[in-house]
Amino acid sequence: MTNDTPRLRIGIIGIVAVSLFGALFARLWYLQVLASPEYQLQATANQQRVIIEPAPRGRILDRNGVVLVDNRLSYVATLDRQRLAALEDAERTDLLTRLVAELVPVEATLTVDELEARVASDRFSPYTPVPVVEDVPESLAIYLTEHRADFADVVQVDARAIRSYPFGRTASHVLGYVGAINDEEFASRRDSPDRYQLTDEIGKSGVERTFEEDLRGTPGTRVLEVDRAGNTVSELSYTPPVPGHDLHLSVDVTIQAIAEQALEEELLNARERRVSRGNDPNVAPAGSVVVESTTDGSIVAMASYPDFDPSTFTDGIDQTEWTALTGEGSYAPFTNRAIAGQYAPGSTFKLITAYAALSSGLRAPADVFHDVGSYRIPNCSGGTCIKYNAGRTPYGNVDLAEAITVSSDAYFYEIGARAWFERDRVGDPIQAAAELFGMGADTGIALSNELSGRVMTPEEYAARHEADPEIFTDGEWQAGDNVNISIGQGEMLTTPMQLANAYVALANGGTLLSPNIALRVTEAGSDVLVRSYEARVIRSVPFDPTWHEALMRGFAGVTGSEEPRGTAYTTFSGFPEGFVVSGKTGTAQVAGKADTAVFVGMGPAPAGQPPPYVAAAFLEESGFGGVAAAPVVRRIFAPIADPSIRPTVGPGGVLSEPLAESADPLAGGDVLD
Amino acid sequence: MVGITAPRSGLARHTASRLGANPASPWRHLDLVLVGCIGAISAIGTLMVYSATRGPVEPFDSSFAKRQALFVLIGFCVLLAAAGIDYRRFRDFAPVLYGGCCLLLALVVSPMGSERKGTQAWFQLGPFQLQPSEITKLAVIIGLAALASHFREEIDARRLGALLVLVAVPLGLIMLQPDLGTALVLVAVGAGGLVVGGVQVKHLVAIAAVGLLFTGFVLNSDMLEDYQRDRLTVFLNQGGEGQRDEAYNLEQSKIAIGAGGTFGRGLFEGSQTRLDNVPEQHTDFIFTAVGEELGFVGAATLLALFAIVIWRVWRTAQLARDDFGTLVCVGVLCMLLFQIFENVGMTMGIMPITGIPLPLVSYGGSSTLATFAALGLVLNVHARRFS
Repeated sequence: MTNDTPRLRIGIIGIVAVSLFGALFARLWYLQVLASPEYQLQATANQQRVIIEPAPRGRILDRNGVVLVDNRLSYVATLDRQRLAALEDAERTDLLTRLVAELVPVEATLTVDELEARVASDRFSPYTPVPVVEDVPESLAIYLTEHRADFADVVQVDARAIRSYPFGRTASHVLGYVGAINDEEFASRRDSPDRYQLTDEIGKSGVERTFEEDLRGTPGTRVLEVDRAGNTVSELSYTPPVPGHDLHLSVDVTIQAIAEQALEEELLNARERRVSRGNDPNVAPAGSVVVESTTDGSIVAMASYPDFDPSTFTDGIDQTEWTALTGEGSYAPFTNRAIAGQYAPGSTFKLITAYAALSSGLRAPADVFHDVGSYRIPNCSGGTCIKYNAGRTPYGNVDLAEAITVSSDAYFYEIGARAWFERDRVGDPIQAAAELFGMGADTGIALSNELSGRVMTPEEYAARHEADPEIFTDGEWQAGDNVNISIGQGEMLTTPMQLANAYVALANGGTLLSPNIALRVTEAGSDVLVRSYEARVIRSVPFDPTWHEALMRGFAGVTGSEEPRGTAYTTFSGFPEGFVVSGKTGTAQVAGKADTAVFVGMGPAPAGQPPPYVAAAFLEESGFGGVAAAPVVRRIFAPIADPSIRPTVGPGGVLSEPLAESADPLAGGDVLD
Repeated sequence: MVGITAPRSGLARHTASRLGANPASPWRHLDLVLVGCIGAISAIGTLMVYSATRGPVEPFDSSFAKRQALFVLIGFCVLLAAAGIDYRRFRDFAPVLYGGCCLLLALVVSPMGSERKGTQAWFQLGPFQLQPSEITKLAVIIGLAALASHFREEIDARRLGALLVLVAVPLGLIMLQPDLGTALVLVAVGAGGLVVGGVQVKHLVAIAAVGLLFTGFVLNSDMLEDYQRDRLTVFLNQGGEGQRDEAYNLEQSKIAIGAGGTFGRGLFEGSQTRLDNVPEQHTDFIFTAVGEELGFVGAATLLALFAIVIWRVWRTAQLARDDFGTLVCVGVLCMLLFQIFENVGMTMGIMPITGIPLPLVSYGGSSTLATFAALGLVLNVHARRFS
């Protein structure tokens, strides 16, 4: 070894030192100069947490300012995830077991496993407590708050605003309900400026859904500075939530409650009624009624039976409740039959057939038809070639008004047949008139899940067969089909909303309106107008004055002719004095079931004045329209005409006094349809 | 250096002469550059300990910083003491020092020692903790220097074996704690001592080869706890899954340093530092506070100060009057260099995570005092290069 060896070896160590420092400087340069911008972003993200604070949802009021949906404070028991995670396993299990013992009186099905599952769920932000039981009674809320230490500060009670319904189930279909946002709803609103979160509630049906954007308000944001453990260090900024707007409906809660009561009672009555031998029994499981203003198309009442309790959803719905509401025999209580029930309109469709005859020149108002109680379809072979009036009753010579009043089917059969045989000249006047009156298309009411009914043309009939011959075995439209639709049977389907709306166009002299369910939107708790909803004209339905006069005379005869000839004469006998109601009964055949009872009424108005409202009632499997459906409309219209018999609505939607009965239509020996 | 025989100059000879009158007086040859750097680094360290521990909001916690300042003050006393006594006296006491440390290491893994975070490395003495492994580093440096200089570079296999055993015994005891970081420091110190101590090249190559094989074997066996293996390997697959705690620590560490940018986010303004986002920041990850709040300018300055310290120690190793002095300086150099590179490297993701403090900057009494003592020895060697 030379003398230089140690010096050389120290030199090597020096070189190593220089290399290592060189590496450190290089890495430092990379991190702090080259890659710094990205790390700065990460540091900011580390430092801040944005907490979204939901805004109180807007109220829903009726047309007179009565609050239908409000918010109330509800106590929610929550768990602090971070504190819970810090506990030992044994301690954690013990705490949850004790908590479940406290909460079981409120939520009987609660288990420790369920709590664990909730805490583990990624639905909830790690920075906000996990809700475990909603709507805890105040006494328990106070107990849990006072005994926080016993639960290692893990359990908290938060107060939050939830929906409350002072009138219970009243107007449930119109109001709809709110529920936890689902993945699909969330995905479609991911970029919404309203900042939806997975824990948010959202309007699921009714106006809660269609006016979601107004009702929701703007959530507040709280930007917090947090440390590594997620503990809040300071508040960097806070934007308070802006409460949702108040929604003023066109619904009058009193008339709404009356309509619901009348509908339910008449369905129950229908079930009690004996039916003639050979007919299907009245099951009367469901029905609906719509009351619409003739002047502006606003909906004053819209009832659908069976209904549901919207407050079921405020604390989350469990499987048992859901099954009861959707299972077999529940008759779909969530379906708003007023807009989503599609029925053959029966004789109420004669308005359309009459208009088709008048506008196509097939018949003038004064033309007389000799009704022998039946009608033989010309050139008919095979099948049913002879069509009868209800009860095969012959009405003799009838003009238009008389044919409506007595509901002469033969009169309209002939129109149907002639429209077919003179098709080259007149086209399809019945289908054209139906579409003119808004059938076969959405009315445009601001409620979701509206169905548009069906106006079948020969072309569509053929096309339908062609597309799916397995299901639609027949594709050839014949005279008999036209005859069937002339009295609202067969291929013609309408919703109660469409039918009411068509009669509104008649009642107001020829303006087809898109019905409004809301009058205006105002800022929360104030009169400051955000938006108002004026009458929306779809189109004008031209009426020659002589047609209009004849039609109105015919409909007036149904309920109140001098002699008892109308199909709803008895039902409307004894109606408040000085008020006139006109209307039309309908009885739509349904294969294998009892008939759908239909009645559409216009009124109540002093004689000579235009009717302010149209009410259309459909009662499924309930028999004759004049017997089952007309009383519903009468019992709604009577208290409108006479305030002295108008009950008031109390909490829960209970009427202050029973509704006045209508006269028993069967006792009066009315001509039935 | 072979052939240079320096007379032993005892302390007694100097006590008689007035300070500074003798041109060979040690105090005239104090390495002021090194002292200045030590002061500057300690000051930065204390300040950053304060920043890392004061908490995000008032009232601010200054207890850590005050204690660290106290450690630094005591450290300077230790520095002076270590520089004041002629370093050659330490050679005489080397067996005692070394034996005492081994005894302490044996005791600390007995029930007398205290455990924290899975490592049994402390004696709890009232409010303070004594960490024998920190003193052991010094003992090994001195012991190795004494033995190697005694062998005078005529190192056969038997003598090499003695040197290896000298390092291996405390290393083994430290691995019992277990404290992988300090063990690795001893490996670095041992390597430096063997290289400069005159071990033959073929032996060095053989040792290196065996060391590499052994490392590979250990990593693939069950000898290491899972967390230790994670720490060692997490930097190899950054951004990968698994190893969550270690990966998180590293990620936060890099974010803190990267977010500092060129000029830093300002003292007490670093969100990673202020909000306690970097675990163990005031001890092993103190460099992240420097990086985030003082930026590249500050962090590079600190590294430059360290580089100057290393340079002065290296220079002293060359200037030393005897082999023992040289080897002591080389030992201190290897200890500091390894700790600095490992510590700063791990915060930036280029070295595995091991529990090694950054000398003079990380909070901790034993580490600070041991570093001051080690640098005191270097000052000692430097000051007595003519006497």
